[in-house]
Amino acid sequence: MPNSLHSLEKLTMAKLLIVDDEPNVLNALRRMCLNHDAPPAIPNPQVMTFTSPVQALAYLQDHPVDLIISDFRMPEMDGATFLTEARKLQVNSARIIISAYADIEGIMRAINDAGIFQFVSKPWSDHELKAAIVQVLAHRALLVENQKLANEVRRQRGVISEQQAELERLELESPGITRVRWAEDGSVLLED
Amino acid sequence: MSITETAVALGGGKTADLAWIRALYEFGQTAAYGADPLRVRQDILTHIVQGFDAESGSIALIVDGTEDELEIAAGTDLPQGIVGSRLQRGVGVFGHVVATGQPILINGNAAEAGLPLRVSEPRNRPAHSAMCWPLVVQEQIIGALAVNRATSRQRYTVEDLDRGQALASLLALVIANHRMNVERDNRIVELSTLNDTLQRVNAMLEDAQGQLIQSEKLASIGQIAAGVAHEINNPVGFVSSNLGTLESYLQRVFALLNAYIEADQATPGPATPALVRARMLRTSHDFDFLRGDIVDLLKESREGLVRVKGIVQDLKDFSRTGGEEAWEMADLHAVLESTLNIVRSELKRKARIEINYGNLPKVECVPSRLSQVFINLLVNAGQAIGAEGKVTLSTGVDGSQVWIRVEDTGSGISEENLSRIFDPFFTTKPVGEGTGLGLSVSYAIVLKHGGQIDVESEVGVGTRFTVHLPIRHTAGAVAQPADDLFKSAA
Repeated sequence: MPNSLHSLEKLTMAKLLIVDDEPNVLNALRRMCLNHDAPPAIPNPQVMTFTSPVQALAYLQDHPVDLIISDFRMPEMDGATFLTEARKLQVNSARIIISAYADIEGIMRAINDAGIFQFVSKPWSDHELKAAIVQVLAHRALLVENQKLANEVRRQRGVISEQQAELERLELESPGITRVRWAEDGSVLLED
Repeated sequence: MSITETAVALGGGKTADLAWIRALYEFGQTAAYGADPLRVRQDILTHIVQGFDAESGSIALIVDGTEDELEIAAGTDLPQGIVGSRLQRGVGVFGHVVATGQPILINGNAAEAGLPLRVSEPRNRPAHSAMCWPLVVQEQIIGALAVNRATSRQRYTVEDLDRGQALASLLALVIANHRMNVERDNRIVELSTLNDTLQRVNAMLEDAQGQLIQSEKLASIGQIAAGVAHEINNPVGFVSSNLGTLESYLQRVFALLNAYIEADQATPGPATPALVRARMLRTSHDFDFLRGDIVDLLKESREGLVRVKGIVQDLKDFSRTGGEEAWEMADLHAVLESTLNIVRSELKRKARIEINYGNLPKVECVPSRLSQVFINLLVNAGQAIGAEGKVTLSTGVDGSQVWIRVEDTGSGISEENLSRIFDPFFTTKPVGEGTGLGLSVSYAIVLKHGGQIDVESEVGVGTRFTVHLPIRHTAGAVAQPADDLFKSAA
């Protein structure tokens, strides 16, 4: 994927969110992501971990991330459901499922609904998983770049207004920023 | 001896007449021991005809399963072909006697005797004096007996008729007894046939039950396997990842330490107290050993994890014994050859491989799964051989099935182990060399193919595994073993 590799050079920082109901798995994955010595290195990784998919979704409301990694089998909701919800919040995030178990139906939902980029099986190989993460990040960066360029072109051609283009640019940079959540009483909801 | 005398004998107890009765009884006994019933009845009749001092006699019996249909069961002086023939229903002397249950005496013409019937006894010479008694057993008429005396002789009297009734009863008993014996013999034959059938059915049932138990065992173990695989893969995942991270951390720590050591050695002049303490620690903590051993520690731990992963992989394979794969018509010899290529290097170190292929048609199967079975059997065969030996691979056709046989000249399997070799996790191999799943996986795969694996073994001589497979696969022909019950473990 030469284009992805090309855009990899543009990756300056990677915000990762990892969800697994087992803290030890989260710790291991965090260490793996942060460990620069074992190639391939993830550029400037920032790792957030959650044992609860619900809390992770709350976090995603206001915090844009580049990549979401999720376990499949969790007590609160399964990985496919979680990533489907996460996708609604941050459509431009890349998504990976890493699991020891999933049935065909679950995998289908993960691909069709959650639009995952990779399915990694447990036990994972650090090298392979990191390679997958780097590749997915690069792919995602490319998609975002494409979208930006496309918007630029459309704006220049007058297909969309300056305002619309600006909104989309903002949304790409900070997902959710253009969507204001209203409470029932008409107040603006701020969650942080 | 005249009938009168016989009758007297019955009442008076003369020894000679007792001998006659005894002879009659013995005929009945003979009949009991399976002699030809026709012969026996004929002999009894002859005996009775002599006893009544008659010229001829005949016996008619009611045909089994009918109410009044008569059949000539025996007769003296009868034309050929009469014995065994049926009599017209309700007519004739026999018909009359059986219908009324009363004995009759006929002297001269039957019509003259006041019989309300059309007399036409099936005999070529007309009787002059005749008696006919019903044969009664337990108040049921089973037939009739008739004796005839020629014209020139003295006529039978009513007294003769009365006295003869006792003999007729005796005869009835003998015949009934004989019938019962024959029936009993038939029943014994029937029962033993039935018994044989039952035993065969029972054996089949036991066989089927054994297979069912085995497949249930496989199914439940497969379910556990799928669950266990998931549970194990999580910890294995992070332990393995942590080991990798630890190794990379340690490299950095060692790099740092090495730098310090080099710096220490490169520093001229007297050592500072801190340096002295560091040097002491380095010696007392056996630092060089630690550095070397940490590498081994990590390597060994990693090996352990690789093994755990292998077992988990086996478990996963076990829970998928051939459901998803496509069935195809495959040349099993080609499958065997490709399998042999995989295991040949392991086998040829100590075993000669002898190939004895028959003429096999293409078989409907999942080749990759069968290959797994053959690998297991061939590797086992190789492992059973101590120093050197022979592994024979042969194939053949048997009706609608084919068979593939793997035979080794190895150590053999003891009888107590033989019944357990298909049990999941049963292994005689040293710890770490076998998970005990190979044969149970093979069993499940073959079962899935609608076939079976037979094993024969003798300790010290060798073992022979025979895989039987139907040429055409019929879906659902076998109890579903492990697969389909689980979701695929990812």
